[in-house]
Amino acid sequence: MDPKHSADDPHPANGDGGPHDALRAAIGHAAHLLPAQGPITVFIHHNTLHAFEQLPFDEAVRRGGEVFGCEPYLSEDRYRAELRKGRIRVSDLEAVLHLEMAATTADPLVGTTTPFDLRRTMLERPIWAATAAELAYYLAETGALHTFRDDVPAHTRLRLTGETRRWVMRDVRPQADGSPGWVGDLFRRFGARGIETWDEGTWEAVTVESLWRVCLDGVAHAPPPAAPPARPLRPRDRLLRATGTDTDLLVNDLLVRFTAAFLDQGISAWPLPDRGDGLFRCFLRTYARPGGPADSWLRPLRSEATRLLAAGTDALTAARESLALLGVPAAEWDDFLSATLLALRGWGGIVREVELRGDRVAHPIPAGSLEGFVAIRLLLDRLAAAHVARAELDYRGPLAELKTHLASSGKFDGECPPPAANQRTFPVFQLAQLLGWSPAELARLTADGWANLYRAVEGFHGVERRRVFHHAYERRFRMQCLDAVAGHVPVRRPAEYRPTFQAITCLDEREESFRRHLEEVAPDCETFGAPGFYGVAMYYRGAADAHHVPLCPIVVRPRHWVEERPTDAAGHERRARARRRRGWASLWFRAGTRSAAAGAVLTAGLGALAAIPLAAKVLFPRLTARFGRPHHGEAPGGTRLKLERQDAEPSHSDAGLGYSLAEMTDIAERLLRDIGLVDGFAPLVLVLGHGSHSMNNPHESAHDCGACGGAVGGPNGRAVAQMLNDPRVRAGLAGRGIAVPEDTAFVGGLHNTCNEYVTFPDADRVPPSHAGVLATVTAALEEVLDRNSHERARRFHSAPLAISNAAARHHMDARAEDLAQVRPEWGHATNALCVVGRRQRTRGLFLDRRAFLNSYDPTRDDADGTILARILGAAVPVCGGINLEYYFCHVDNPGYGCGTKLPHNVTALLGVMDGAASDLRTGLPWQMVEIHEPVRLLFVVETTPAVVASIMERNPLIGTMVRNGWVQMSVLDPHSDGIQVYRDGAFHPYQPAAGSLPVATCSADWYRGWRDHLDFAEIRPGA
Amino acid sequence: MDPLDYPSLLGGAVVVAPLLLVALLGVASLVGRPLSETASARAVAAVTLFGLLATLAVFAFMVAADTRHVVVGSAEWVHLESDPPEPPYHFAIKFVFDKLSIPFVALTFALLGTVGAFAGRYMHREPGYNRFFVLYSVFLAGMVTAALAGTIETLFLGWELVGLSSALLVGFFHERPAPVRNALRVWVVYRVSDAALLLAAVFLHHMSGAGDFDKLTGYREAAGQEVAAWPDGVCQLEPIQVWVVGGLLLLAAAGKSALVPFSGWLPRAMEGPTPSSALFYGALSVHLGAFLLLRMDPLLDASPELSNAVLVLGLATAALAALAARVQTDIKSVLSFASLTQVGLIVAEIGLGWRYVPLVHLIGHACLRTLQFVRAPSILRDHHALENAVGDRLPRPSGGWLGAVGGWAYRYGLERGYLDAALDRFLVRPFLVAIRTLDAWERRAAAALNGVAAPPTPPKEDRPA
Repeated sequence: MDPKHSADDPHPANGDGGPHDALRAAIGHAAHLLPAQGPITVFIHHNTLHAFEQLPFDEAVRRGGEVFGCEPYLSEDRYRAELRKGRIRVSDLEAVLHLEMAATTADPLVGTTTPFDLRRTMLERPIWAATAAELAYYLAETGALHTFRDDVPAHTRLRLTGETRRWVMRDVRPQADGSPGWVGDLFRRFGARGIETWDEGTWEAVTVESLWRVCLDGVAHAPPPAAPPARPLRPRDRLLRATGTDTDLLVNDLLVRFTAAFLDQGISAWPLPDRGDGLFRCFLRTYARPGGPADSWLRPLRSEATRLLAAGTDALTAARESLALLGVPAAEWDDFLSATLLALRGWGGIVREVELRGDRVAHPIPAGSLEGFVAIRLLLDRLAAAHVARAELDYRGPLAELKTHLASSGKFDGECPPPAANQRTFPVFQLAQLLGWSPAELARLTADGWANLYRAVEGFHGVERRRVFHHAYERRFRMQCLDAVAGHVPVRRPAEYRPTFQAITCLDEREESFRRHLEEVAPDCETFGAPGFYGVAMYYRGAADAHHVPLCPIVVRPRHWVEERPTDAAGHERRARARRRRGWASLWFRAGTRSAAAGAVLTAGLGALAAIPLAAKVLFPRLTARFGRPHHGEAPGGTRLKLERQDAEPSHSDAGLGYSLAEMTDIAERLLRDIGLVDGFAPLVLVLGHGSHSMNNPHESAHDCGACGGAVGGPNGRAVAQMLNDPRVRAGLAGRGIAVPEDTAFVGGLHNTCNEYVTFPDADRVPPSHAGVLATVTAALEEVLDRNSHERARRFHSAPLAISNAAARHHMDARAEDLAQVRPEWGHATNALCVVGRRQRTRGLFLDRRAFLNSYDPTRDDADGTILARILGAAVPVCGGINLEYYFCHVDNPGYGCGTKLPHNVTALLGVMDGAASDLRTGLPWQMVEIHEPVRLLFVVETTPAVVASIMERNPLIGTMVRNGWVQMSVLDPHSDGIQVYRDGAFHPYQPAAGSLPVATCSADWYRGWRDHLDFAEIRPGA
Repeated sequence: MDPLDYPSLLGGAVVVAPLLLVALLGVASLVGRPLSETASARAVAAVTLFGLLATLAVFAFMVAADTRHVVVGSAEWVHLESDPPEPPYHFAIKFVFDKLSIPFVALTFALLGTVGAFAGRYMHREPGYNRFFVLYSVFLAGMVTAALAGTIETLFLGWELVGLSSALLVGFFHERPAPVRNALRVWVVYRVSDAALLLAAVFLHHMSGAGDFDKLTGYREAAGQEVAAWPDGVCQLEPIQVWVVGGLLLLAAAGKSALVPFSGWLPRAMEGPTPSSALFYGALSVHLGAFLLLRMDPLLDASPELSNAVLVLGLATAALAALAARVQTDIKSVLSFASLTQVGLIVAEIGLGWRYVPLVHLIGHACLRTLQFVRAPSILRDHHALENAVGDRLPRPSGGWLGAVGGWAYRYGLERGYLDAALDRFLVRPFLVAIRTLDAWERRAAAALNGVAAPPTPPKEDRPA
């Protein structure tokens, strides 16, 4: 229950040590387990099990699974299916087993079966487990005790039957007559007198049943079963077990409704009265009013609320009172409150997030709201428990003694029954068949032998098997990646080579294919990848926006403000006025249709007209969108960024907007040095931010740029390009050793990763001398976007495999505009690899849109890896966080993710619920992670092991994530194709396993006709 | 050739086409070979488009032939002659095209066709895709049958199909407990309303021997001369009969249209996938109760008291729902109560004795609300776009004049008028207590007669959710 506390854990009560502090600390401790997802409009990917990061990955997923009731890995069936498909090979399983069993004894357990053989068989063959009732049925009603399992090979059957026959005739029969045990029973049933005429079937039945009986006898020597992890029990759990009535149903119904009303950011037309009093007092005031709910369990609520309100009780005091009434001693507060909060974890989490980050919502809530939430929950919990105990058990005593009452009346004593002997025997029985252990062999086992056997079988339980499967699953992918990187021959250019143009994109893995196609279409270009905010951390407000939004990673709080200004102020004001008019009109219309009188006029008068947009939008989404697309984005040249500041200090006043010259030079220098672009500038350099536009998609923000804090990153590219075009900035750069040629122009733009459009709002500012290059680039981009759409289309079953490039582009556009489309794009799904190094190490490799590509030139970094430390400081937590969120949301989608999108219901403008009312669902929906392969992100960093080791020392976050295996780390030697992989605290050289890479002439040649994941390949035009 | 044959033929096709769709999707599922996603979507599109066009064609023929009442496929299921003056007793499956059914059935095809196209893409790769469309086709068949029904027994048939498919769609995600619980709740309310409709049908047959709406309302065909097609029917029943039948029908309509006191099920119905919520609760099935009242309008005309009851029920529902819609904080609940507000008003309009106004209101409301429902997941983007257009945070009026009433009204709306809790406490619980008491008495009596000790009462179960 207790993950190691991170540094900011307030748990060690350092106040005056009073009970309030202890309770506050316990709530703080429990709150760490809550999902850390903020408002869904700004979706930040993060490690779902962030609270467990101090533990090694495998231990964390297991502990996290216990705490949250979720799966740690994929199911065994899924892994076995991958084994059949060849995605996992038996050699991978063996390699993983060898690695971790190196220190284990190889002495056979039974016959010639070593522990290694045992584990391999348990992996290759499904070993069924069953509940007591299911097993009883299975043994009694199926042929399980008469015939072998279907997958026992014929020769094993023959050998087992033969040996058993011999054993029975020689050793068993002489002593069997009248013997009391199972032997006598067996003989009686099959008719010992006719033993010499028993047919094959009878002997098979005798063999199988003997196996069962021998194994069942052996269980007596097995070590006692491992105790299941102790879970703290709430009164609700006890009552549920004792009566079958779930008090959480009662409590959640009210609590969800009220919490949503309290947090609502603008869905309801009438906000909650007394909201300013804070969650707890507001609740008391609301429910202390007369004429309350008719639910019988809530009857005492009014008097309780009135009493607490009159006494001026604060939330913590009320919570302590409830804890005392429920009989929870202070020592158990931590666990008890964790379990209590987790009963409605999504809502608890959002209360905490809104409380902590009031700057991210329109209507913040006061501090202490989470404490109020806990106090309300405990109050309702005890009312519900008292009601159910009275109604179902006729128990009217104090709740603190409910536990003893339930135990003494035999209703529920808090114990889970240990597994029965036959449940423990069942796996061993199956293994005996699969591995061909005869009853004779087993009967000869000593007590120690049995203990060893049971320990070996039970020690390799389901979670352990899945862990090994998972490591094998990752191993196969890791080898495929590393083989591709090692086998790739870097493209060498002459020293004075000057590309026609260069493009800087986000390191996002969706840009991998964009860059690849760009390089295929225009072989004389170069591409770079960097975190898509490009070092410009700002609060940004577009010309048509109402508010500033932060455009930078979530961990950064921007200190600068930037605004987009129209060039044609009069025209802009005219358009803004029109927009305002339209805005008020649609606002009024929306409110009107929800009210009675206006609604009647509107629906009766105009309602039938709605059939037209309804049919048009649903049946012809793309056409309708083109027809009705308003002029939100101004034409190129219509706006400029206000980027240079007059005031000394930044502020959001007009003179405080923007950056000083020195700051701009710093930003420009840092970007260029990070990606290693310090000489060899092309005449034209594109800087592309990215974002995603889609309809009817509450999770739209999760498709935007993660480095921009889940927002559209176009302005960042535009800003940094504008800085780099400033002659004064260039003079400053020259002074710092970066000479940007005078004939180089930068242009910022936006890549829409959903509908595949690239726009350059400042295209008119490119000098006339570059018009030719820009035209070439724009033409190339059109082709690139067509091809990129085509590559994306292979993953969508609704796009035919034989689709043309142009049709694929239309298809992407239509997806973005379709109200009925729940998969507008795949987002980060399938991400699995992060390469930090020079593009030439990966240029020409088909990486299947699975690789984050961060440009970094080790030859231009110092010996300490200062630049690399900076890059990894962002890449490891951010890319790792994205990858881990996808991992968990795929592995247990209903648990860690938010389930299917289909019944989602946007609530309070903060998140989604399932259907009418449920917990707030955090994480990613199934439709986003469906095609993901849950593997931990594999870093390939072009540097030496010593540099990475020193960075891991200097940056504790990177050190923790790598050492605890939350990401896989490997280094690629800058001067050779040598690769070393980090494992167990050290780097180990990697031996490439594959020969040469497959080769294709272009990307389409390689991926054509295939929907599933692809092996990596070398794209060599003219090959 | 008789010019009326074409409309009958087309009209028959309108009824049969949805049944064919049910057969196609249903049989394919039953034999374990469900149609592919594309094939189902195409079949749905074809049937709804055909249905819509055929309905419009029937309408065109009727306009051309200047007739207001076309009867299709009258088939007597039971026919018992009685001694005059008692009327003969019969059950008949009969469909009628008139000014009420044509708009309603056209609306059904248009909305179901659009939402079918929506769902075809929305449900892509969902494991329950086929199940969804089987239920969808049952719903379509039910709606068309109920809309065109010419006798109360035909109406009941459609009504049942609609109820069954709706409840199963609410429980579509049956792997989670909440949808199943809520579907059960919807189902129970529907059953109450079904029972009322069935009783009304039985009474009607008992009193007049037939459930034909045209007989009931005095429609007579005398040498091609139509006397009183909808909405000009005149009630042929005695006042007391009007009261009994009308009251039962009002109960049936209240359950189906979520009128007070049954409003609690409407937000619970939002458990299904968005298209089914949009269609069934936002647009079509929630209006079915109002449609029933329109269909039975001669009864209302005959009884001002009944009309007043309808008016009061409609206004009460509208008032409650308007209040609830203001304070709900999730978009689907907001829309479902906004929807209910208008349904309440439509019912009130019927109570006022209007006929065409509620019909136009109903159709307009269904179209607009469906659009709003299918756009519901866009609320975040719309909100943002509105803020940008207005240039500021959106205003939040604090309850308008209701704000003066204060927190009490807010809580009343937030708790949805306590209707579900009240039903549980004042209807369900006493009912269960009464039934269990009777059960206990019976056991005791039986035991006494058998001369054995009284058996223990069975464990309590089936408590109201």
